[in-house]
Amino acid sequence: MRRRGVMGRALRQMGEDLWLQGVAISTLAVALAIMGAYLALCLNLNQAAGRLLPGPTLLVVTDPQVRPEQGRELASELARLPGVASAGYVDQQEAMIRFRRQLGPQADLLDDLETNPLPNAIELVLSPDLASPPELAAHIKNMAGVSDVVTGRPWLQRLERALRAGGELAVALGILLFLAVVLVTSNTVRLAVHVRRRELELMALVGAGGGYMRGPFLVEAVLQGLAAAGLASLLLWGLFALLAAPDALPWGLRLGRILAFPALLPAALGGLAVVSGLMGGFLGVGRSLHPREVL
Amino acid sequence: MIRLEHVSKSYPHRREPALKGVSLQIAPGEFVYLTGPSGAGKTTLLRLLYGAEMPSKGRVVVGGTDMSRLAPRHLPLLRRRLGLVFQDFRLMHRRSVFENVALSLEVAGTDRRTVERRVGEVLEQVKLSHLAQAPADTLSGGEQQRVALARALAPGPDLILADEPTGNLDPSNALAMMRLLVGDYVGGATVLVATHDPTLLSLVRGGRVVHLERGRLEESS
Repeated sequence: MRRRGVMGRALRQMGEDLWLQGVAISTLAVALAIMGAYLALCLNLNQAAGRLLPGPTLLVVTDPQVRPEQGRELASELARLPGVASAGYVDQQEAMIRFRRQLGPQADLLDDLETNPLPNAIELVLSPDLASPPELAAHIKNMAGVSDVVTGRPWLQRLERALRAGGELAVALGILLFLAVVLVTSNTVRLAVHVRRRELELMALVGAGGGYMRGPFLVEAVLQGLAAAGLASLLLWGLFALLAAPDALPWGLRLGRILAFPALLPAALGGLAVVSGLMGGFLGVGRSLHPREVL
Repeated sequence: MIRLEHVSKSYPHRREPALKGVSLQIAPGEFVYLTGPSGAGKTTLLRLLYGAEMPSKGRVVVGGTDMSRLAPRHLPLLRRRLGLVFQDFRLMHRRSVFENVALSLEVAGTDRRTVERRVGEVLEQVKLSHLAQAPADTLSGGEQQRVALARALAPGPDLILADEPTGNLDPSNALAMMRLLVGDYVGGATVLVATHDPTLLSLVRGGRVVHLERGRLEESS
Protein backbone atom coordinates (compact mmCIF):
# COMPACT_ATOMS: atom_id res chain seq x y z
CA MET A 1 0.00 0.00 0.00
CA ARG A 2 1.48 3.32 -1.10
CA ARG A 3 1.43 6.18 1.39
CA ARG A 4 0.39 9.42 -0.27
CA GLY A 5 2.06 12.78 0.07
CA VAL A 6 0.17 16.06 -0.04
CA MET A 7 0.18 16.11 -3.86
CA GLY A 8 -1.09 12.53 -4.05
CA ARG A 9 -3.85 13.25 -1.55
CA ALA A 10 -4.82 16.42 -3.44
CA LEU A 11 -4.99 14.59 -6.78
CA ARG A 12 -6.99 11.80 -5.21
CA GLN A 13 -9.56 14.10 -3.65
CA MET A 14 -9.81 15.98 -6.96
CA GLY A 15 -10.43 12.71 -8.80
CA GLU A 16 -13.15 11.73 -6.34
CA ASP A 17 -15.30 14.79 -7.13
CA LEU A 18 -14.93 15.46 -10.83
CA TRP A 19 -18.14 17.49 -11.05
CA LEU A 20 -16.82 19.79 -8.33
CA GLN A 21 -13.58 20.21 -10.29
CA GLY A 22 -15.60 21.07 -13.40
CA VAL A 23 -17.61 23.70 -11.56
CA ALA A 24 -14.54 25.16 -9.82
CA ILE A 25 -12.32 25.28 -12.91
CA SER A 26 -14.99 26.77 -15.19
CA THR A 27 -15.95 29.41 -12.59
CA LEU A 28 -12.30 30.35 -12.09
CA ALA A 29 -11.68 30.33 -15.85
CA VAL A 30 -14.45 32.92 -16.35
CA ALA A 31 -13.04 35.10 -13.54
CA LEU A 32 -9.49 34.79 -14.90
CA ALA A 33 -10.67 35.47 -18.46
CA ILE A 34 -12.22 38.75 -17.29
CA MET A 35 -8.99 39.57 -15.47
CA GLY A 36 -6.97 38.56 -18.55
CA ALA A 37 -9.09 40.67 -20.90
CA TYR A 38 -8.55 43.62 -18.60
CA LEU A 39 -4.78 42.98 -18.46
CA ALA A 40 -4.60 42.65 -22.25
CA LEU A 41 -6.51 45.90 -22.67
CA CYS A 42 -4.21 47.71 -20.22
CA LEU A 43 -1.07 46.36 -21.90
CA ASN A 44 -2.32 47.36 -25.35
CA LEU A 45 -3.30 50.83 -24.17
CA ASN A 46 0.06 51.23 -22.46
CA GLN A 47 1.84 50.34 -25.69
CA ALA A 48 -0.34 52.75 -27.64
CA ALA A 49 0.44 55.52 -25.15
CA GLY A 50 4.14 54.70 -25.49
CA ARG A 51 3.90 55.16 -29.24
CA LEU A 52 1.92 58.37 -28.84
CA LEU A 53 4.26 60.02 -26.37
CA PRO A 54 7.91 60.44 -27.25
CA GLY A 55 8.90 60.57 -23.60
CA PRO A 56 10.04 63.62 -21.66
CA THR A 57 11.69 66.22 -23.93
CA LEU A 58 13.39 69.60 -23.69
CA LEU A 59 13.84 72.13 -26.48
CA VAL A 60 17.09 74.13 -26.19
CA VAL A 61 16.99 77.37 -28.24
CA THR A 62 20.47 78.50 -29.28
CA ASP A 63 21.67 82.12 -29.46
CA PRO A 64 21.20 83.67 -32.96
CA GLN A 65 24.98 84.10 -33.36
CA VAL A 66 25.66 80.37 -32.81
CA ARG A 67 26.55 78.83 -36.18
CA PRO A 68 25.18 75.38 -37.22
CA GLU A 69 28.60 73.65 -36.63
CA GLN A 70 28.74 75.14 -33.12
CA GLY A 71 25.13 74.12 -32.59
CA ARG A 72 25.95 70.50 -33.52
CA GLU A 73 28.93 70.57 -31.14
CA LEU A 74 26.67 71.90 -28.38
CA ALA A 75 24.19 69.08 -29.13
CA SER A 76 27.03 66.52 -28.70
CA GLU A 77 27.97 68.17 -25.43
CA LEU A 78 24.36 68.09 -24.19
CA ALA A 79 23.98 64.42 -25.19
CA ARG A 80 26.80 63.57 -22.77
CA LEU A 81 24.97 65.13 -19.79
CA PRO A 82 23.58 62.69 -17.24
CA GLY A 83 19.83 62.24 -17.72
CA VAL A 84 19.90 63.00 -21.43
CA ALA A 85 19.02 60.05 -23.66
CA SER A 86 19.67 61.79 -27.00
CA ALA A 87 20.20 65.23 -28.47
CA GLY A 88 19.57 66.34 -32.07
CA TYR A 89 20.34 69.70 -33.70
CA VAL A 90 17.42 71.15 -35.67
CA ASP A 91 18.36 74.24 -37.70
CA GLN A 92 15.74 76.85 -38.59
CA GLN A 93 15.24 75.43 -42.12
CA GLU A 94 14.52 71.96 -40.78
CA ALA A 95 12.21 73.51 -38.15
CA MET A 96 10.31 75.32 -40.91
CA ILE A 97 9.91 72.09 -42.92
CA ARG A 98 8.49 70.35 -39.85
CA PHE A 99 6.17 73.29 -39.15
CA ARG A 100 4.86 73.18 -42.73
CA ARG A 101 4.29 69.45 -42.39
CA GLN A 102 2.31 69.98 -39.19
CA LEU A 103 0.17 72.69 -40.79
CA GLY A 104 -0.66 70.42 -43.72
CA PRO A 105 -3.14 72.10 -46.15
CA GLN A 106 -2.78 75.39 -44.25
CA ALA A 107 0.99 75.50 -44.90
CA ASP A 108 0.36 78.16 -47.60
CA LEU A 109 -0.10 80.66 -44.79
CA LEU A 110 3.67 80.59 -44.29
CA ASP A 111 4.37 81.62 -47.89
CA ASP A 112 3.91 85.30 -47.05
CA LEU A 113 6.70 85.27 -44.45
CA GLU A 114 9.72 87.27 -45.65
CA THR A 115 12.13 85.69 -43.18
CA ASN A 116 12.14 82.43 -41.25
CA PRO A 117 11.16 83.41 -37.67
CA LEU A 118 12.00 80.00 -36.17
CA PRO A 119 15.23 79.70 -34.16
CA ASN A 120 17.95 77.07 -34.39
CA ALA A 121 17.37 74.61 -31.60
CA ILE A 122 18.47 71.33 -30.07
CA GLU A 123 15.87 68.67 -29.21
CA LEU A 124 16.71 66.67 -26.09
CA VAL A 125 15.03 63.39 -25.20
CA LEU A 126 15.43 62.81 -21.47
CA SER A 127 15.90 59.47 -19.70
CA PRO A 128 12.65 58.32 -18.06
CA ASP A 129 14.52 57.83 -14.75
CA LEU A 130 15.80 61.42 -14.61
CA ALA A 131 15.09 62.64 -11.09
CA SER A 132 14.64 66.38 -11.72
CA PRO A 133 14.12 67.71 -15.27
CA PRO A 134 13.72 71.35 -14.01
CA GLU A 135 17.21 71.25 -12.46
CA LEU A 136 18.68 69.97 -15.71
CA ALA A 137 16.82 72.70 -17.63
CA ALA A 138 18.21 75.38 -15.28
CA HIS A 139 21.73 74.00 -15.71
CA ILE A 140 21.46 74.01 -19.53
CA LYS A 141 20.03 77.54 -19.57
CA ASN A 142 23.27 78.80 -17.97
CA MET A 143 25.46 77.18 -20.63
CA ALA A 144 27.20 79.32 -23.27
CA GLY A 145 25.32 79.63 -26.57
CA VAL A 146 21.92 78.81 -25.02
CA SER A 147 19.23 81.45 -25.33
CA ASP A 148 16.24 79.59 -23.80
CA VAL A 149 15.06 76.18 -22.66
CA VAL A 150 11.44 75.16 -23.37
CA THR A 151 10.40 72.52 -20.85
CA GLY A 152 7.79 70.52 -22.73
CA ARG A 153 4.56 71.51 -24.31
CA PRO A 154 1.63 72.16 -21.92
CA TRP A 155 -0.84 69.86 -23.78
CA LEU A 156 1.72 67.06 -23.65
CA GLN A 157 2.19 67.57 -19.92
CA ARG A 158 -1.60 67.46 -19.44
CA LEU A 159 -1.79 64.29 -21.51
CA GLU A 160 1.02 62.74 -19.47
CA ARG A 161 -0.77 63.65 -16.24
CA ALA A 162 -4.03 62.19 -17.56
CA LEU A 163 -2.25 58.99 -18.61
CA ARG A 164 -0.56 58.72 -15.22
CA ALA A 165 -3.93 59.13 -13.46
CA GLY A 166 -5.43 56.59 -15.85
CA GLY A 167 -2.60 54.20 -15.01
CA GLU A 168 -3.23 54.56 -11.29
CA LEU A 169 -6.94 53.96 -11.83
CA ALA A 170 -6.11 50.90 -13.94
CA VAL A 171 -3.91 49.49 -11.14
CA ALA A 172 -6.69 50.08 -8.57
CA LEU A 173 -9.25 48.36 -10.81
CA GLY A 174 -6.78 45.53 -11.42
CA ILE A 175 -6.37 45.02 -7.66
CA LEU A 176 -10.15 44.93 -7.26
CA LEU A 177 -10.45 42.36 -10.04
CA PHE A 178 -7.68 40.28 -8.48
CA LEU A 179 -9.47 40.38 -5.11
CA ALA A 180 -12.61 39.19 -6.87
CA VAL A 181 -10.64 36.23 -8.29
CA VAL A 182 -9.31 35.47 -4.78
CA LEU A 183 -12.89 35.57 -3.47
CA VAL A 184 -14.08 33.19 -6.21
CA THR A 185 -11.17 30.84 -5.38
CA SER A 186 -11.89 30.95 -1.66
CA ASN A 187 -15.55 30.13 -2.34
CA THR A 188 -14.68 27.12 -4.48
CA VAL A 189 -12.33 25.91 -1.73
CA ARG A 190 -15.08 26.47 0.83
CA LEU A 191 -17.38 24.35 -1.31
CA ALA A 192 -14.75 21.60 -1.47
CA VAL A 193 -14.30 21.77 2.32
CA HIS A 194 -18.07 21.52 2.78
CA VAL A 195 -18.31 18.46 0.52
CA ARG A 196 -15.56 16.73 2.53
CA ARG A 197 -16.70 17.98 5.92
CA ARG A 198 -17.21 14.56 7.54
CA GLU A 199 -13.88 13.27 6.33
CA LEU A 200 -12.10 16.35 7.65
CA GLU A 201 -13.81 16.08 11.01
CA LEU A 202 -12.69 12.50 11.20
CA MET A 203 -9.12 13.54 10.46
CA ALA A 204 -9.32 16.16 13.23
CA LEU A 205 -10.60 13.52 15.65
CA VAL A 206 -7.65 11.20 15.03
CA GLY A 207 -5.19 14.05 15.54
CA ALA A 208 -4.53 15.51 12.10
CA GLY A 209 -2.84 18.89 12.31
CA GLY A 210 -3.85 21.97 10.34
CA GLY A 211 -1.12 21.43 7.72
CA TYR A 212 -2.16 17.83 7.04
CA MET A 213 -5.75 18.91 6.40
CA ARG A 214 -5.04 22.23 4.65
CA GLY A 215 -2.26 21.03 2.35
CA PRO A 216 -4.40 19.15 -0.19
CA PHE A 217 -6.89 22.04 -0.41
CA LEU A 218 -4.13 24.54 -1.15
CA VAL A 219 -2.60 22.24 -3.78
CA GLU A 220 -6.07 21.65 -5.22
CA ALA A 221 -6.76 25.41 -5.39
CA VAL A 222 -3.44 26.04 -7.15
CA LEU A 223 -3.97 23.18 -9.64
CA GLN A 224 -7.51 24.37 -10.35
CA GLY A 225 -6.17 27.90 -10.81
CA LEU A 226 -3.52 26.73 -13.28
CA ALA A 227 -6.05 24.71 -15.26
CA ALA A 228 -8.43 27.69 -15.25
CA ALA A 229 -5.58 30.02 -16.35
CA GLY A 230 -4.88 27.73 -19.31
CA LEU A 231 -8.55 27.66 -20.24
CA ALA A 232 -8.90 31.44 -19.84
CA SER A 233 -5.79 32.03 -22.02
CA LEU A 234 -7.23 29.77 -24.69
CA LEU A 235 -10.56 31.61 -24.56
CA LEU A 236 -8.89 35.02 -24.85
CA TRP A 237 -6.58 33.89 -27.64
CA GLY A 238 -9.64 32.68 -29.54
CA LEU A 239 -11.47 35.93 -28.86
CA PHE A 240 -8.54 38.06 -30.08
CA ALA A 241 -8.16 35.88 -33.18
CA LEU A 242 -11.88 36.26 -33.90
CA LEU A 243 -11.85 40.04 -33.48
CA ALA A 244 -8.77 40.36 -35.68
CA ALA A 245 -10.48 38.49 -38.54
CA PRO A 246 -11.28 40.73 -41.56
CA ASP A 247 -15.05 40.26 -41.39
CA ALA A 248 -15.39 40.04 -37.62
CA LEU A 249 -16.73 43.55 -37.09
CA PRO A 250 -19.00 45.75 -39.21
CA TRP A 251 -17.90 48.83 -41.18
CA GLY A 252 -14.50 47.32 -41.88
CA LEU A 253 -13.32 47.74 -38.29
CA ARG A 254 -10.19 45.69 -37.60
CA LEU A 255 -9.47 45.47 -33.89
CA GLY A 256 -6.37 43.41 -34.68
CA ARG A 257 -4.67 46.65 -35.78
CA ILE A 258 -4.88 48.18 -32.33
CA LEU A 259 -5.26 45.15 -30.05
CA ALA A 260 -2.92 42.19 -29.94
CA PHE A 261 -2.91 39.09 -27.71
CA PRO A 262 0.03 39.71 -25.33
CA ALA A 263 2.48 36.80 -25.49
CA LEU A 264 3.08 36.98 -21.74
CA LEU A 265 -0.61 36.87 -20.85
CA PRO A 266 -0.82 33.07 -20.23
CA ALA A 267 2.21 33.27 -17.90
CA ALA A 268 0.75 36.31 -16.12
CA LEU A 269 -2.59 34.53 -15.66
CA GLY A 270 -0.78 31.42 -14.44
CA GLY A 271 1.12 33.48 -11.87
CA LEU A 272 -2.07 35.22 -10.74
CA ALA A 273 -3.81 31.84 -10.51
CA VAL A 274 -1.06 30.47 -8.24
CA VAL A 275 -1.12 33.51 -5.93
CA SER A 276 -4.92 33.67 -5.85
CA GLY A 277 -5.03 29.89 -5.29
CA LEU A 278 -2.80 30.16 -2.24
CA MET A 279 -4.61 33.22 -0.87
CA GLY A 280 -8.08 31.89 -1.67
CA GLY A 281 -7.08 28.48 -0.30
CA PHE A 282 -6.03 29.95 3.05
CA LEU A 283 -9.16 32.10 3.23
CA GLY A 284 -11.47 29.29 2.08
CA VAL A 285 -10.19 26.72 4.53
CA GLY A 286 -9.94 29.30 7.31
CA ARG A 287 -11.64 28.41 10.56
CA SER A 288 -13.69 25.62 9.03
CA LEU A 289 -10.84 23.24 9.94
CA HIS A 290 -10.61 24.34 13.55
CA PRO A 291 -9.81 21.22 15.63
CA ARG A 292 -12.52 21.95 18.22
CA GLU A 293 -15.23 22.16 15.57
CA VAL A 294 -16.05 18.49 15.16
CA LEU A 295 -19.36 16.68 15.35
CA MET B 1 -5.18 9.49 33.54
CA ILE B 2 -8.45 11.46 33.68
CA ARG B 3 -9.42 14.03 36.27
CA LEU B 4 -12.61 16.07 36.25
CA GLU B 5 -12.99 18.67 39.00
CA HIS B 6 -16.46 20.16 39.56
CA VAL B 7 -17.12 20.23 35.84
CA SER B 8 -20.29 21.84 34.54
CA LYS B 9 -21.30 22.29 30.94
CA SER B 10 -24.14 24.50 29.75
CA TYR B 11 -25.36 25.26 26.24
CA PRO B 12 -26.85 28.63 25.26
CA HIS B 13 -30.23 27.30 24.13
CA ARG B 14 -30.70 24.65 26.81
CA ARG B 15 -32.30 25.49 30.14
CA GLU B 16 -30.69 22.60 32.05
CA PRO B 17 -26.91 22.18 32.07
CA ALA B 18 -25.71 18.99 30.37
CA LEU B 19 -23.28 18.36 33.24
CA LYS B 20 -23.58 19.65 36.81
CA GLY B 21 -20.52 19.73 39.07
CA VAL B 22 -19.09 16.42 37.89
CA SER B 23 -15.93 15.22 39.63
CA LEU B 24 -14.27 12.01 38.50
CA GLN B 25 -10.86 10.42 38.60
CA ILE B 26 -9.75 7.49 36.45
CA ALA B 27 -6.36 5.88 36.99
CA PRO B 28 -4.08 4.71 34.16
CA GLY B 29 -5.03 1.23 32.87
CA GLU B 30 -8.51 1.32 34.44
CA PHE B 31 -11.58 0.06 32.55
CA VAL B 32 -14.63 2.21 33.27
CA TYR B 33 -18.22 2.02 32.08
CA LEU B 34 -20.00 5.35 31.89
CA THR B 35 -23.70 4.50 32.03
CA GLY B 36 -26.88 6.50 32.01
CA PRO B 37 -29.98 7.05 29.91
CA SER B 38 -29.95 8.98 26.65
CA GLY B 39 -29.48 12.68 27.35
CA ALA B 40 -27.74 12.08 30.70
CA GLY B 41 -24.59 13.87 29.49
CA LYS B 42 -22.34 10.90 28.59
CA THR B 43 -21.44 12.18 25.12
CA THR B 44 -20.84 15.68 26.50
CA LEU B 45 -18.44 14.26 29.05
CA LEU B 46 -16.54 12.35 26.36
CA ARG B 47 -16.43 15.45 24.11
CA LEU B 48 -14.84 17.36 26.99
CA LEU B 49 -12.20 14.64 27.22
CA TYR B 50 -11.20 14.77 23.55
CA GLY B 51 -11.36 18.53 23.37
CA ALA B 52 -14.41 19.03 21.17
CA GLU B 53 -15.98 21.06 23.98
CA MET B 54 -14.68 23.25 26.77
CA PRO B 55 -16.25 23.11 30.25
CA SER B 56 -18.38 26.05 31.38
CA LYS B 57 -17.00 25.57 34.89
CA GLY B 58 -14.42 23.33 36.52
CA ARG B 59 -11.29 21.64 35.24
CA VAL B 60 -10.72 18.72 32.86
CA VAL B 61 -7.29 17.08 32.93
CA VAL B 62 -6.43 14.33 30.42
CA GLY B 63 -3.07 12.59 30.62
CA GLY B 64 -1.69 15.45 32.69
CA THR B 65 -2.91 18.10 30.25
CA ASP B 66 -5.34 20.74 31.47
CA MET B 67 -7.78 20.98 28.56
CA SER B 68 -8.70 24.60 29.36
CA ARG B 69 -5.07 25.65 28.95
CA LEU B 70 -4.41 23.61 25.83
CA ALA B 71 -3.90 25.80 22.76
CA PRO B 72 -5.95 24.64 19.75
CA ARG B 73 -2.76 24.01 17.78
CA HIS B 74 -1.65 21.47 20.39
CA LEU B 75 -4.98 19.63 20.45
CA PRO B 76 -3.99 17.27 17.56
CA LEU B 77 -0.95 16.13 19.59
CA LEU B 78 -3.21 15.18 22.50
CA ARG B 79 -5.70 13.41 20.22
CA ARG B 80 -2.91 11.23 18.80
CA ARG B 81 -2.63 9.74 22.30
CA LEU B 82 -6.35 8.93 22.32
CA GLY B 83 -8.31 6.20 20.56
CA LEU B 84 -11.88 7.22 19.74
CA VAL B 85 -14.70 4.83 18.87
CA PHE B 86 -18.19 6.08 17.98
CA GLN B 87 -21.61 4.51 17.61
CA ASP B 88 -21.79 5.52 13.93
CA PHE B 89 -18.25 4.15 13.22
CA ARG B 90 -17.10 7.35 11.42
CA LEU B 91 -15.21 5.68 8.62
CA MET B 92 -14.14 7.12 5.29
CA HIS B 93 -16.60 5.18 3.19
CA ARG B 94 -14.86 5.41 -0.16
CA ARG B 95 -11.52 4.29 1.32
CA SER B 96 -10.32 0.77 1.97
CA VAL B 97 -10.15 -0.83 5.41
CA PHE B 98 -6.36 -0.47 5.30
CA GLU B 99 -6.55 3.28 4.50
CA ASN B 100 -9.07 3.86 7.28
CA VAL B 101 -6.87 2.20 9.86
CA ALA B 102 -3.68 3.79 8.49
CA LEU B 103 -5.18 7.29 8.83
CA SER B 104 -4.54 7.52 12.58
CA LEU B 105 -0.85 6.74 11.96
CA GLU B 106 -0.40 8.87 8.84
CA VAL B 107 -1.68 12.05 10.48
CA ALA B 108 1.12 11.66 13.02
CA GLY B 109 3.72 11.40 10.24
CA THR B 110 4.51 7.71 10.87
CA ASP B 111 6.79 6.23 8.21
CA ARG B 112 5.38 3.90 5.55
CA ARG B 113 6.95 0.66 6.79
CA THR B 114 5.70 1.21 10.36
CA VAL B 115 2.23 2.04 9.05
CA GLU B 116 2.10 -1.17 7.01
CA ARG B 117 3.37 -3.30 9.90
CA ARG B 118 1.16 -1.75 12.55
CA VAL B 119 -2.02 -1.77 10.40
CA GLY B 120 -1.36 -5.45 9.62
CA GLU B 121 -1.06 -6.21 13.34
CA VAL B 122 -4.26 -4.49 14.43
CA LEU B 123 -6.26 -5.91 11.52
CA GLU B 124 -5.04 -9.33 12.65
CA GLN B 125 -6.25 -8.54 16.20
CA VAL B 126 -9.73 -7.55 15.06
CA LYS B 127 -9.77 -10.46 12.55
CA LEU B 128 -10.15 -8.32 9.43
CA SER B 129 -6.86 -9.00 7.64
CA HIS B 130 -8.68 -10.69 4.77
CA LEU B 131 -10.72 -7.50 4.16
CA ALA B 132 -7.79 -5.04 4.18
CA GLN B 133 -8.37 -3.87 0.62
CA ALA B 134 -12.17 -3.89 0.75
CA PRO B 135 -13.93 -0.50 0.63
CA ALA B 136 -15.24 0.36 4.11
CA ASP B 137 -18.81 0.87 2.90
CA THR B 138 -19.07 -2.74 1.69
CA LEU B 139 -18.61 -4.15 5.21
CA SER B 140 -21.30 -5.16 7.70
CA GLY B 141 -21.98 -3.00 10.77
CA GLY B 142 -19.98 -5.31 13.04
CA GLU B 143 -17.03 -5.30 10.65
CA GLN B 144 -17.16 -1.52 10.30
CA GLN B 145 -17.05 -1.10 14.08
CA ARG B 146 -14.05 -3.44 14.23
CA VAL B 147 -12.33 -1.26 11.61
CA ALA B 148 -13.07 1.78 13.80
CA LEU B 149 -11.60 -0.02 16.80
CA ALA B 150 -8.53 -1.03 14.78
CA ARG B 151 -8.07 2.61 13.80
CA ALA B 152 -8.30 3.61 17.47
CA LEU B 153 -5.81 0.91 18.53
CA ALA B 154 -3.26 1.43 15.74
CA PRO B 155 -1.25 4.29 17.31
CA GLY B 156 -1.11 2.46 20.68
CA PRO B 157 -3.18 5.06 22.58
CA ASP B 158 -2.94 5.80 26.30
CA LEU B 159 -6.70 6.30 26.54
CA ILE B 160 -9.58 4.77 24.57
CA LEU B 161 -12.90 6.63 24.61
CA ALA B 162 -15.81 4.65 23.20
CA ASP B 163 -19.19 6.37 22.83
CA GLU B 164 -21.95 3.75 22.57
CA PRO B 165 -19.65 1.43 20.59
CA THR B 166 -22.25 -1.33 20.43
CA GLY B 167 -25.25 0.92 19.77
CA ASN B 168 -25.60 -0.16 16.13
CA LEU B 169 -24.57 -3.81 16.59
CA ASP B 170 -26.51 -7.02 17.11
CA PRO B 171 -25.88 -8.90 20.44
CA SER B 172 -23.21 -11.24 19.07
CA ASN B 173 -21.27 -8.41 17.43
CA ALA B 174 -21.71 -6.30 20.57
CA LEU B 175 -20.18 -9.07 22.68
CA ALA B 176 -17.29 -9.46 20.22
CA MET B 177 -16.63 -5.74 20.30
CA MET B 178 -16.65 -5.57 24.10
CA ARG B 179 -14.27 -8.54 24.33
CA LEU B 180 -11.88 -6.66 22.09
CA LEU B 181 -12.10 -3.61 24.34
CA VAL B 182 -11.39 -5.47 27.57
CA GLY B 183 -8.84 -7.85 26.10
CA ASP B 184 -5.09 -7.58 25.97
CA TYR B 185 -5.39 -5.85 22.61
CA VAL B 186 -5.73 -2.41 24.17
CA GLY B 187 -2.17 -2.74 25.47
CA GLY B 188 -2.76 -1.46 28.99
CA ALA B 189 -4.60 1.67 27.85
CA THR B 190 -7.23 3.29 30.03
CA VAL B 191 -10.68 2.55 28.58
CA LEU B 192 -13.84 4.57 29.10
CA VAL B 193 -16.96 3.10 27.50
CA ALA B 194 -20.13 5.19 27.47
CA THR B 195 -23.35 3.20 27.11
CA HIS B 196 -27.05 3.56 27.86
CA ASP B 197 -27.48 -0.23 27.64
CA PRO B 198 -27.28 -1.92 31.10
CA THR B 199 -27.12 -5.39 29.49
CA LEU B 200 -23.67 -4.50 28.22
CA LEU B 201 -22.35 -4.58 31.80
CA SER B 202 -23.41 -8.19 32.17
CA LEU B 203 -21.84 -9.11 28.85
CA VAL B 204 -18.38 -8.24 30.06
CA ARG B 205 -17.77 -8.06 33.81
CA GLY B 206 -14.95 -6.55 35.74
CA GLY B 207 -15.10 -2.85 34.97
CA ARG B 208 -15.79 0.03 37.30
CA VAL B 209 -19.22 1.56 36.64
CA VAL B 210 -19.89 5.27 36.81
CA HIS B 211 -23.49 6.37 36.33
CA LEU B 212 -24.64 9.72 34.98
CA GLU B 213 -28.21 10.86 35.62
CA ARG B 214 -29.41 14.23 34.33
CA GLY B 215 -25.89 15.62 34.32
CA ARG B 216 -24.95 14.40 37.81
CA LEU B 217 -22.54 11.60 38.59
CA GLU B 218 -23.21 8.53 40.75
CA GLU B 219 -20.57 5.86 41.25
CA SER B 220 -22.08 2.34 41.25
CA SER B 221 -19.25 -0.09 41.86
